[in-house]
Amino acid sequence: MDHDQGPTGSGWLAALESSGLGETLRQSVWLYPLVEIAHILGFALLVGAILAFDLRLLGVRSARLPAEALSRLLLPVAVTGFALAVPTGILLFVTEATSLIRNPMFLAKMALIALALANIAVFHSRVGQRMAAWSDAEHPPGAARVAGAASLTLWIGVLACGRLIAYV
Amino acid sequence: MPNARKLATAALLSVAPVTAFPAFAHHGWGGYDSGKVLTLTGTIQQFAFENPHAMLNLQADGKVWHVILAPPGRMTARGLPAGTIKPGQTVTVIGYPAKSDPAEMRAERIMSGSQTVELR
Repeated sequence: MDHDQGPTGSGWLAALESSGLGETLRQSVWLYPLVEIAHILGFALLVGAILAFDLRLLGVRSARLPAEALSRLLLPVAVTGFALAVPTGILLFVTEATSLIRNPMFLAKMALIALALANIAVFHSRVGQRMAAWSDAEHPPGAARVAGAASLTLWIGVLACGRLIAYV
Repeated sequence: MPNARKLATAALLSVAPVTAFPAFAHHGWGGYDSGKVLTLTGTIQQFAFENPHAMLNLQADGKVWHVILAPPGRMTARGLPAGTIKPGQTVTVIGYPAKSDPAEMRAERIMSGSQTVELR
């Protein structure tokens, strides 16, 4: 927040920030940290499950761990984490909308999330769709390994940028 | 398998530059110069009891200082709940100037009336 201690800029972001919801979240002693806790739990599930699956895509433990079986556990965990992280993230955004929209780390985080989601979409529409064919193979196909490496990089980047929002 | 491990390591290392940013401008104590202790006494012009941290604008030392305090939860737990600090009041804050903003300081403690509250 700026030195005048109010939302700077105009339009819908300032309206969002000075809304009753924004006020309530900012001034609550317990609600704000609870939202933060839920956000952290959400991205812990999301990034944790994804990174574990990424390692499998790269070939780690591939000899005795079918990719398909692993995905049946990890992908729902990741989806649950996403479903928790997004609404709580939106609530946190509302509290500081006008300064977040100018925060380079926040913008980088959003861009990395977009890339990471695009990577997921490409994976599942292509090589991921044929997972049954390579589920037990010791060397996952090149496209799967590329998707895994990209995912690993992008999601760690998302996490790092998210934490750095408070420091720039 | 060694190939897989190499790929995983490479992916992890490629993230390192993202996390290695130099100048942390605003929050965290690292953005403040702990070598210069400031003691400011003045009149509160504005006060915001807000997450992620409370803050006030203080008329002191011939200018308006933007003073970063602690999160509302901690302020409440240490005896300064909402409504106990108000504009017009005189307070003393002890803290450190921001490295990137000559009018900002982060308070280590605040003295209000007979109360001294640690904020870290």
